[in-house]
Amino acid sequence: MGDPDEELLSRVASGDPAAVRALVARKLPRLLSLAGRMLGDAQEAQDVAQDAFLRVWKQAPKWRPGAARFDTWLHRVALNLCYDRLRRRREVAVAEPPERADEGPGPERGLEAADTGRRVARALQALPERQREAVVLCHYQELGNIEAAAVMGVSVEALESLLGRGRRALRAALIDLKEGRDDS
Amino acid sequence: MTPERFEDLAEAWGGDIARWPDAERVAAALVMAARPDWAQAVLARAGDLDAVLDMFAPPAGAPALTAQIVASAPSPRARRWISWLLPAGMGAGLAAACAAGVLAGAHLQPASSTPATSEADALVTAVGDEDFGLLLGEDA
Repeated sequence: MGDPDEELLSRVASGDPAAVRALVARKLPRLLSLAGRMLGDAQEAQDVAQDAFLRVWKQAPKWRPGAARFDTWLHRVALNLCYDRLRRRREVAVAEPPERADEGPGPERGLEAADTGRRVARALQALPERQREAVVLCHYQELGNIEAAAVMGVSVEALESLLGRGRRALRAALIDLKEGRDDS
Repeated sequence: MTPERFEDLAEAWGGDIARWPDAERVAAALVMAARPDWAQAVLARAGDLDAVLDMFAPPAGAPALTAQIVASAPSPRARRWISWLLPAGMGAGLAAACAAGVLAGAHLQPASSTPATSEADALVTAVGDEDFGLLLGEDA
């Protein structure tokens, strides 16, 4: 299967401003989704997205078609940027997850939905990093098992194990939310 | 596929079989045909967790962020200048000048202010994307 981003990346490499805008429109939401869920912090997610695109601009002229899927490469770069930030957090001994785990209710979201979102964000942040990475890549980013395993550098079996353990922990942490949904 | 395997897959991949690994779906469909009520209950339980997880919305990208990122791309003028300059035989001179600048900078830079190399930089600069392709295996 061909890489759906390859043609656009080649135009970016040749300095086509329309291609730059198109690539940002295509990838920025995915980067924000990935970094937002990994870090639980909207501002840090934006910083990661900016840094990741700087690497894209640097890499585009050197991109070798067929060597790797661009989306896979971009996920790995963004995840490494996330891990840099998570490591820095540990170094400054921040014990609690950031308060800005969710941006609160948007115009179309109720207070209850925002509260639930914050609960889920905290539960996700409480997972071991590799389990969180598996859940984010497979559930939120909707990567297939082979691609997610490639991004994480593990076997498909190891990915499934991380995913299963992560989801079981999330279920245990969020069981009351599910019950609340049944009552409503 | 055993019922236990079906449950494990639902636990890992959620309540929508379309999102399960390709290689498992046919066997999963056979389990569903053989034990429809039980299979639906397993999938519904996994789907409940999916729905709860989906309540965590990603941060939205503000237009200002998009504009900043677009502006951070190298300008076409800069790319054209470089592509004109290098074939004109000035690449070696430019590289030598850059190297001299880096060396001079290294001498002037106090050792204590050297920043640590990040993991991400290490991946992009040291591993390189050709090697990263190999690292990723056949899908890469």
